[in-house]
Amino acid sequence: MKDSLLELRVRKRFAGFTLDCEAQFGEGITAIFGPSGSGKSTLLNSIAGLTRPDEGEIRFEGEALYSSEEGIHMPPEKRRFGYVFQDSALFPHMSVANNIHYGYKLTAREDRRIEPSQLVELLQLGRLLERSVANLSGGERQRVALARALAASPRLLLLDEPLASLDGGLRGVILGYLKRIRRELGTPMVYVSHSISEVMALADNALALRDGRAVAYGRASEALLMPEVSAFAQFNTLENLLDVLVKRRYEDEDIAELKIGDACVLAAGVSRGEGDTLTVSIRAGDIIVSRQIPPQTSARNAIPARVSEIHTVDSRVLIYADIGARMVVEITLNSLEALGLRVGTEIYLIIKANSVIPLEGRGG
Amino acid sequence: MELLGILVLTVQIALVGTAINLPIALGVSWLIVKRRISGRLVFDALVSLPLAVPPVVVGYALLLLLGNKGLVGGPLNSLLGVELVFTWFAAALAAAVVSFPLMARAVMVAMGGVDEHLEMAARSLGASAVRVFFTITVPLAYRGISAGALLGFVRAVSEFGATIVVAGNIPGKTQTLPLAIYSEVLLGNDEMALRLIAVSVGLAVVTLLAHNWLLDRAARTDEG
Repeated sequence: MKDSLLELRVRKRFAGFTLDCEAQFGEGITAIFGPSGSGKSTLLNSIAGLTRPDEGEIRFEGEALYSSEEGIHMPPEKRRFGYVFQDSALFPHMSVANNIHYGYKLTAREDRRIEPSQLVELLQLGRLLERSVANLSGGERQRVALARALAASPRLLLLDEPLASLDGGLRGVILGYLKRIRRELGTPMVYVSHSISEVMALADNALALRDGRAVAYGRASEALLMPEVSAFAQFNTLENLLDVLVKRRYEDEDIAELKIGDACVLAAGVSRGEGDTLTVSIRAGDIIVSRQIPPQTSARNAIPARVSEIHTVDSRVLIYADIGARMVVEITLNSLEALGLRVGTEIYLIIKANSVIPLEGRGG
Repeated sequence: MELLGILVLTVQIALVGTAINLPIALGVSWLIVKRRISGRLVFDALVSLPLAVPPVVVGYALLLLLGNKGLVGGPLNSLLGVELVFTWFAAALAAAVVSFPLMARAVMVAMGGVDEHLEMAARSLGASAVRVFFTITVPLAYRGISAGALLGFVRAVSEFGATIVVAGNIPGKTQTLPLAIYSEVLLGNDEMALRLIAVSVGLAVVTLLAHNWLLDRAARTDEG
């Protein structure tokens, strides 16, 4: 990225493991993605200043936070980076309000850009303020942890698997709040995750780590489809998260016509109006590949596409189909052979309207 | 009443010894457990040393250090005219040194029980290491720290060997419960000796019960 916010070159040796990574992060949300033990958290802690690397350099907006050559190691409290832990790490001897005010009070007046009252509204914490943190649910804890970190008006927000200890429904809720934070506060974030769907849903850019090394970097949507990454990414929950435009609504049928790349797709349950944009999820495994348009089918969508890449991971095959946007389709090795698919083959993607899941159901 | 005077002096000496130890134990524990200073294994061994040597040795070392020709006692005597040896304060210092390992060990355990993520979170929110210590670590470990202080206190109350060397056994001045028991036994005053022993055991039991109660509360807080 040209407009690099954070530049880092970090080397840290542990018994049996070495993190050795070079990267440049831009604005927006950057994901650090990789399997457990790949060095994600060590890298995040190095950025935060909580771990001191053995060697290298970390710069934020050109300023050295760490440099082994110049002998610089700025302590974490001077960096003004917020940190949200997987386990929330709320202070158990303080109320919710005092947790949120802890960092706010320590922030110099001229550095305060975000007020606690603003966060209470944004993260809907009004009812929780006087409570003890022992009585909060998992989702509430993470919302308070986000508010606490943001109340210190951080220059960068670091998140270490903030959704990993939450169940499915709550993950979506917190994901929604993270998007609101990005939209309304614009705080740049570095987001550590081992979930490919989370990264694709949230991140602008992604750095993929494996065995302590960066194996891919780029747009989140693209970096994660690189072969180096597909070798360790868990694809059983892989979704296409696509930005779409609502072209037309058929109110009586609760069906909307969405423009994805060059194609039009019918989807159910879309609450946005015509001309609006939103993100939809289509699971890679919910898409059927056909060589012809099926003559009679309940599936509402048959989208012409061209096979642009084929990747084989064990007995699974990931096909990247070009419809003016990149679609990932998962089929079996058996289907690949039966259909005689090759790069360049013209195909149709058969998708049920119900399989196109709108992710921005709530307005705003 | 003679017995009450001995009890008050004993508690006074043990309290002062504990008060001297507490900030040192907090600081040393912080360096070893939280800052993980290099050479902490050696440092840790030094903390336990008074527990491993005979108290008489501690007393003699203090006598050399605090005496009128000692490293500390010399300048104090020549500059300020203060004499430390054979005072109640020397007894307090002896009690402090001997009870230090017990207290420091307990404080280290209590501090080690504070979740590192909480301290890391506080640092990222702009708190210096010292502020984190006073606003996060100590408040969360205070029950364990208090229990450690009580353990140190109960050991200071029962201190004998180091005290008799550096502070003597002067009735009304440096004669604590254990020293008084020793004197009464030597004089053959069995009745007085037994009364002193009863007081000594009673004080120990009450202190240990308070210690256990605090540790139990600390454990419950961790679970909840």
